[in-house]
Amino acid sequence: MSLVSGPGRAGETSGSLPDELQLTIEPHVRYIQSLDSRRDELEYWLTEHLRLNGLYWGLMALHLMGRPDALPRDETINFVLSCQHENGGFGAAPGHDAHMLYTVSAVQILAMIDALDELERRGKGRALVGSYIAGLQNTRTGTFAGDEFGEEDTRFLYGALNALSLLHMMDAVNVNKAVDYIVSCANFDGGYGVSPGAESHSGQIFTCLAALSIAKRIDLVDVDKLGRWLSERQVECGGLNGRPEKAEDVCYSWWVASSLAMIGRLHWIDGDKLKEFILRCQVCSVSADNSTEINARQDTKMGGFADRPGDMVDVFHTAFGLGGLSLLSFPDLEEVDPV
Amino acid sequence: MGPKIKAQPQAVAEPAIPVEYRTVKDKLEAEYLESRPYEVLKAKKGFGGMSAAEKSAYANYIFLETGVWKNWAASQQKDFWALVEKQKIPLPLPKPQPLGKDFRGRDLETYTPQEYQEYQKKQTRLRQLEAESKRWREIHIDGDERIEEFEEEESQEVEKQRRKEIGDLRGKAMGRYESDPTWDDVKPIPQDDGEGALAQIAYTDEYSEAMGYLRAIMAANEHTPRVLGLTEHIIGMNAAHYTVWLYRASTLFALNSSIAEELKWLNEVALVNQKNYQIWHHRQLLIDQLYTTISSSPSDLEELAKSELDFMMQMFAEDSKNYHVWSYRQYLVRKLDLFSSAPELASVEALLREDVRNNSAWSHRFFIVFSNPSYCTPTSKATEPDPAIPAIVIDRELNFAKAATFEAPQNQSPWNYLRGVLRKADRKLSTEEEFASQFVQDLEEDTVDIKSSHALDFLADVWEETGEVKKADRALTLLGDTFDRVRKNYWEWRRKALKKD
Repeated sequence: MSLVSGPGRAGETSGSLPDELQLTIEPHVRYIQSLDSRRDELEYWLTEHLRLNGLYWGLMALHLMGRPDALPRDETINFVLSCQHENGGFGAAPGHDAHMLYTVSAVQILAMIDALDELERRGKGRALVGSYIAGLQNTRTGTFAGDEFGEEDTRFLYGALNALSLLHMMDAVNVNKAVDYIVSCANFDGGYGVSPGAESHSGQIFTCLAALSIAKRIDLVDVDKLGRWLSERQVECGGLNGRPEKAEDVCYSWWVASSLAMIGRLHWIDGDKLKEFILRCQVCSVSADNSTEINARQDTKMGGFADRPGDMVDVFHTAFGLGGLSLLSFPDLEEVDPV
Repeated sequence: MGPKIKAQPQAVAEPAIPVEYRTVKDKLEAEYLESRPYEVLKAKKGFGGMSAAEKSAYANYIFLETGVWKNWAASQQKDFWALVEKQKIPLPLPKPQPLGKDFRGRDLETYTPQEYQEYQKKQTRLRQLEAESKRWREIHIDGDERIEEFEEEESQEVEKQRRKEIGDLRGKAMGRYESDPTWDDVKPIPQDDGEGALAQIAYTDEYSEAMGYLRAIMAANEHTPRVLGLTEHIIGMNAAHYTVWLYRASTLFALNSSIAEELKWLNEVALVNQKNYQIWHHRQLLIDQLYTTISSSPSDLEELAKSELDFMMQMFAEDSKNYHVWSYRQYLVRKLDLFSSAPELASVEALLREDVRNNSAWSHRFFIVFSNPSYCTPTSKATEPDPAIPAIVIDRELNFAKAATFEAPQNQSPWNYLRGVLRKADRKLSTEEEFASQFVQDLEEDTVDIKSSHALDFLADVWEETGEVKKADRALTLLGDTFDRVRKNYWEWRRKALKKD
């Protein structure tokens, strides 16, 4: 699995859109299944550093579409365990250094396919994974580094709490300090950034809110102020952007909408317009007579979502496009937990 | 210039002039037949039509072809060969075998005879070079013989040329590292994907070769200058490979390499990789390291701040909202304590003059003004009032934000900034009612004229604060129905909240 982009380009339906855009599951399932078979493309090798994340995004999308078995379970477990290091952490692919982001993806993948037991049976044990993560906490500030080299980012903090909660090892770290750190990242406009003083960014807001949700401290958020800022992310075309005056992108359908959901303010944006925007970012388009057809510009029977209509699809935007639709209670999709 | 026909028996009446063969296949087939003149004759005349002498020669040819003469007694063999000599019977050539293909996939049989001759010469040369190169490696890497330093240098150059020639002859150049004798001591470790050989295609070869050498280097934990060249090469192909960056950093520090040089190189990489995390983390590691060596020299620190600012402005010329650069900038302001630095504030103002909608620049301005340790309360959060901030700073910032709203009334950044400053100052929103009212005319009339939905939003909050519920409700209704319909639900929620108060 990889973050290979393409081959499809999201549907550009020139002229008017059909009244009701549809979601057809099968091409998207096939798209995700196809990703690992694209080893003869340079892109596959250049995205090796994202392999484990890509696998997580792909599985997330498949689970949302009710097709958790569409990737072989045993191969998935084998691949995940092959990325593990002696210190308990995971790299993006075999031979890559251990890093928080991939360790979190590994735990999420194993949890999603109900295979955390494999850590004990064939991996280096659940406790070692937990202690690898715990070892990356900055005991002075409470935040987390990505690896031994110390890059810090609220993404890593969220990842740490997420994985530890899945491992039932929250007591391995100082949760209160981590919570304090998130609070110190709150900005004057109500949002949160990558570190104290950094500009508010929808992706970082998601990580901060999700971390607070896991720590059961959402009460520390100025919900109305943040909700106001988040709802301002919706632009005229229905899509959401990540920061003021930036272009819309399907991935923010997840980051922004799930953040709004976590603070109970999802209804503040126009859900129908957002759904319409997300559906316009699919490769799979719907013809005038409402029969589903694959966009004629692709000579492939594959689906996938792009960041915005007309761009190349990839697995990251596919997962978050589907995640957004699921949050908006789109029919045919499993319900997603915003955290 | 085809060769002359070799067989010269009288019986075969072929003209003895040079023949041009179209292809080497034609030539080989012709030669095959030419070496069997009596077979050809028999096919033409039939056995019965041949003369007695021809029949005798034909029989001897058959003995030659089948090799039965080998079983005869020595004297018999001697007579046989005398006869063959006398009858001028050529030795039959073996049946031509398929020649195979060249490296371009062209069938060698389609070569002209001359081309084929050239080809064979090259193949001979290639085998010779390969043997020499193999020997060279054995001597230089595995052997105990140490050659004088000077000669070693020279023969490395010769060997390099040799490998280049081998590549030319093979029609496929060797990889950068395979062709470089200075890397001979490293045995590349190929990708282990546990699924057997991959169908590699040409344009991934360069990347996979370099990665193979890096794996080997890392396995041996080698930190030498050539690692910098190797990692630079890989980063040039794929700047997002975090392991490569980490190994480069540890090598730099192990070698005590020039940080200034590294920063210069990193600038170029950053300019072509706008959306990359690793570059900025690498930069922080470099600055942390550099800082320890220059922290006691104010002029060096000032010089660093200036060159970093110059570089960041170069990055902003490409994308003035690049999140990585802004996050790095906040790191640098803290690291070098640039809160009160005049160029710091001036450059933010310059960016806002260029694009007043640059929310990143607004955010950074708030950060440097309201976390400045020279007057701010250190524990004060961005979202709470700080009585330590001088009124002159507050007023300057309010005026700055207000001026920007006139420039682009529908720009949300200065409105958010204005609210942020008022909060820091612990002043009520209503202190700016007069200012915000300039953007709203005839609120109660049908002719209502709104220059900024943000002003209307601001006023709704003001009127909520002052208890003017009716006006606030009117503002919120207008927002939901007319000026910001996409967030209708939000404005309705605000209206409901208003009535609850």
